[in-house]
Amino acid sequence: MTLELVTGNHAAGYALSVAGEANRGARGAACGIYPITPQTEIVEFVAKYPFSKGRVIAVESEHSAMGVSIGASMAGARAFTASSSNGLAYMTENIMVAGFYRLPIVLAAVNRTLGPPWNIWADQGDTLYLRDFPWIQLYCETNQEVLDSTLLAFRLAEDRRILLPVMVVMDAFILSHTQMETELPEQELVDRYLPPLSLPHELNLNRPTTVGGLTWPRETMSQRIEVDEAMERVPAVYEEHRASFKQIFGRDPGAAVSTFETEDAESVLVTSGTIASTALEVVRGRRAAGEKIGMVKMKMFRPFPGDRLLDACPHVRKFGVLDRDYAAGLGGVWWHDLRATLQGPRDGAMVQNYLTGVCGGDVTPAMINEVIDDLLARRSAGKPVWKGIDK
Amino acid sequence: MIEIRIHGRGGQGGVTLAKIIATTRYLHGFSVQAFGLYAAERSGAPLQAFCRFDAQPITNRNLIYEPDHVIVLDATLVGPAITSGLKPNGWILINDPRFPYEFAEQFPGYRIATVDATSIARRNELGTRSVPIVNTALAGAVARVLGFEPESVHEALEHLGFRGKNFDAASEAYERVIIVDDVDRHGARVTHPVTPTQRVPGIVDGGGAERPVIRTGQWATQQPHRKEWTPPCNHVCPAGNDVQGFLQALARKETDLALETLLRTTPFPSVCGRVCPAPCMESCNRLSLDEAVNVRDLERYAGDRGRAEVKPLATREQRIAVVGSGPAGLAAAYHLARFGYRVTVIEGGSSLGGLLRTGIPPYRLPREVLDREIGRILHLGVDVRLDTRIERRDLYRLTLEFDAVLVATGLQELRSLDLGGGGNGESIMQGIDFLDRANREVIRVDDEDVIVVGGGNTAFDAARSALRLGARSVRIVYRRTREEMPAIAEEIEEAIEEGIACDYLTLPIRIEPRNGDERLTMICRRMQLGEPDDSGRRRPVEVEGSDFPIECDRVLLALGQSADLSVFPEGSEVRDGADVLGLLETPVYAIGDLASNDGTVAAAIGSGRRAALSIHYVFAGEELPGLVPAADDVIRAGSLKMHLFESAPSHHGMSRPAEERRLDYREVHAGIADPSEAERCLSCGVCNECDRCVTYCPEGVLKRIGREFIFDYEYCKGCGVCAAECPRNVVFMTRL
Repeated sequence: MTLELVTGNHAAGYALSVAGEANRGARGAACGIYPITPQTEIVEFVAKYPFSKGRVIAVESEHSAMGVSIGASMAGARAFTASSSNGLAYMTENIMVAGFYRLPIVLAAVNRTLGPPWNIWADQGDTLYLRDFPWIQLYCETNQEVLDSTLLAFRLAEDRRILLPVMVVMDAFILSHTQMETELPEQELVDRYLPPLSLPHELNLNRPTTVGGLTWPRETMSQRIEVDEAMERVPAVYEEHRASFKQIFGRDPGAAVSTFETEDAESVLVTSGTIASTALEVVRGRRAAGEKIGMVKMKMFRPFPGDRLLDACPHVRKFGVLDRDYAAGLGGVWWHDLRATLQGPRDGAMVQNYLTGVCGGDVTPAMINEVIDDLLARRSAGKPVWKGIDK
Repeated sequence: MIEIRIHGRGGQGGVTLAKIIATTRYLHGFSVQAFGLYAAERSGAPLQAFCRFDAQPITNRNLIYEPDHVIVLDATLVGPAITSGLKPNGWILINDPRFPYEFAEQFPGYRIATVDATSIARRNELGTRSVPIVNTALAGAVARVLGFEPESVHEALEHLGFRGKNFDAASEAYERVIIVDDVDRHGARVTHPVTPTQRVPGIVDGGGAERPVIRTGQWATQQPHRKEWTPPCNHVCPAGNDVQGFLQALARKETDLALETLLRTTPFPSVCGRVCPAPCMESCNRLSLDEAVNVRDLERYAGDRGRAEVKPLATREQRIAVVGSGPAGLAAAYHLARFGYRVTVIEGGSSLGGLLRTGIPPYRLPREVLDREIGRILHLGVDVRLDTRIERRDLYRLTLEFDAVLVATGLQELRSLDLGGGGNGESIMQGIDFLDRANREVIRVDDEDVIVVGGGNTAFDAARSALRLGARSVRIVYRRTREEMPAIAEEIEEAIEEGIACDYLTLPIRIEPRNGDERLTMICRRMQLGEPDDSGRRRPVEVEGSDFPIECDRVLLALGQSADLSVFPEGSEVRDGADVLGLLETPVYAIGDLASNDGTVAAAIGSGRRAALSIHYVFAGEELPGLVPAADDVIRAGSLKMHLFESAPSHHGMSRPAEERRLDYREVHAGIADPSEAERCLSCGVCNECDRCVTYCPEGVLKRIGREFIFDYEYCKGCGVCAAECPRNVVFMTRL
């Protein structure tokens, strides 16, 4: 394993490529690619990778990029692609198709504000809006986590108990274009972690089947229930593959839900992505100053690991949810899901939403301190609070 | 944790510099981050890049607002923004050749270092000359300033896969960076950045409200400007014609305007369109692409097909005499009459035109063409006195009668060669006399073998005329080679096509005595070329013992002419365009071949025009264009974007077949049928409104209003696309 100074895009491109290469003993690697800022470097990396078996196909749109990956995956290749923002919006129809066809595709998604107006900076709205599709979503806070999560994503997606596509998500520029020291594992280690793909419903000329025909409500609903059951199994299966990842690579790829000093905390910040990284320093400082505050970092968004969060926060009465997104007419998406989770089990808990770094704004330690001050002083929850702008 | 902010411009490699610095620390066990502040800016826009490193793992993922040090990649960025949030006592490293003290007053309380990374990058050929890549040099300077291990930058460059002279640049900057560490450390004025948190009008409530304005012109390091240059054709035209101007008018199918343009400088476009040696074509920049534009035939086209009326521009009292009605005299008369002077042309012969009529055969210059152009001059109200020879006495009288006298009597002294021999007086004659008589149709040379001695236009005109007047054979004897012949190349070519033989490197020695009606025997000697003479041509040297005879019936001598200055008082100094006497009140000018012996119609026209301009300046005090030679700002092919032009063959015009034309006096050359040849003109250095600059301006900040092109410097980023796309170098960039 070599330590290198690489960007988040480079880490993702590397992980997709070595994972694809690890399937050379089976049907190889294949994907459709299409560029968009800020993820273009990912598909550039993949396009240059000398795969022993497989093909990278440059197409004319994100919709087709996912289309190619769907076809490749159905044929048994280890398939993946990458996109961002409006590219994901354009890809959406096929994103849904990949999920309901139960194809273990891995999508490297770089969060960028959905336009208009034209904006290239980080905002999770472009992946969170895909929340109702049968995809697992994992959010990262470092380039290392991007790389590790991408490898884990294949293992999770291809697990016969799951067979769902996975999106590995990072913040635009804050990770995608920032150089950080990152361990790049050798192919041999990756080969050990990712066995050749064997898809139960792989297209096979000896077993002809019809895909895409008209399906009656009962059959369609059965497929939905099958997805629901697979989604239910994800947190536990994730933990298994996390453990084996630690064994092989000697590194923790991160829990679905990570906590800091939540056991006795009365208030916690709920964070995701790179905000978690910056917030942890602040929370650590406040804790050291004697304030009973903790922090939760949500890595997994779908399925929403609400139970794990509740278990980790037995005494928390105040949840401050930091959303780098805005769902029109609602507020933060994370906040919305957390409120739903707490409804019932924690009816008395206060859940306040802070819209931080939305549309790419910088989230500074000072801003997080302001959020904590507000949360601690608050007696009841109000409307989501826009941070970083005098509203 | 140490945090560094880099101020640079798009394209300078600021983000890479952050990465190199980060790598130097990372290789020594630090936790690092390197990132840029990305946006949509193009080349030249101010950008920032950042680097932070710490012995402990870094968890911050926000931007850097209070850096420990700043690096400035471009001295034009030095300003208050540099110290925004900069911690007291921090380093400011500036890429600039000046000494750090130059900046000390501006940044009290900071430590300042300077390094001329731009020169170092250029010396090491990093980037291009206009956009040197300075980041590897600056990395070397950073290592020195911040006290990194001397080898750390090379380690980092090697780790990152840099090659070649980047290493030398880093080492050189490490050595050369100038460090001033003794500033007053208590005077820092730390300004804290104000994060813009004010809400701005949105898309709906912002309609009509003031919107944020980014004057992108401030990003520019260079700006486009326009300047027109002198095309080489205009520069060399002896007549002073606006060649490019009339060609571009023809290219736009504006034939009348083309003629009008020519008539501003010359009364003889149809004449020159037939007989000019066209130095413009020899200097045409198009030669470096394919072939010269066929200017001669296009001038003929404009002269023959265009319609333009010439009128006197004013009415003036002064009376001016022009002695001689060749091209110089008539050109002077034409311009003076246009300016409104009362002009009288005095001609010793019985018709106007001088050498144009007596020397140039009608098959090259049809008489109706000549008469038409002379008619246009007379139409301006010029008086004519024919059959009036002017001797020295008469010249004095003219100075009393007129307010100015121009003498344009050309070259009346014919050079001769005493070959001995004899026979009747007509078997050895001057070519110019022969031509005069031939053109007046009073001589024939039926069945004669004719030898013409000489290599100029007169020689070829005489030879070709002899052919048309019944000669059995015509040969030209010339002591040098074809390359040295002063005649127009096309005329040599046509003569050979018509069957005229040329004996090069042949010197006539003598003609043998003979009796009665015997044919002439001319003894010639072979020559060879030796060392170059004063004119740069190789001097012919006689080959001993190589004499040989040629038999013939007639010898025509065309050895050149010289000026007969006997009309002027003895001791007069004759200079082209200058007052000859200077003693009398009345100005007397010698012009044309008499003064300059340039020997071409175009040069004579130019001489006449300049004299007219001088006289106008004397009488009216008005300095018109052409009086003073233009500044030498000629544009050569190397300054044009030749790759933007397509190769296209020239239209050469049509000639009658040699076997047909050699028998009669009808015009040999038919010219060109349409003016599309003019579209081949590159309009060197002169805007022809091709609009490429406007079309390709990516910012829409170059506007054309009518014929004016306006750069909006408030918003022009100086990207240089307009200059890169201007085929004719009218738009060019200057550094700010």
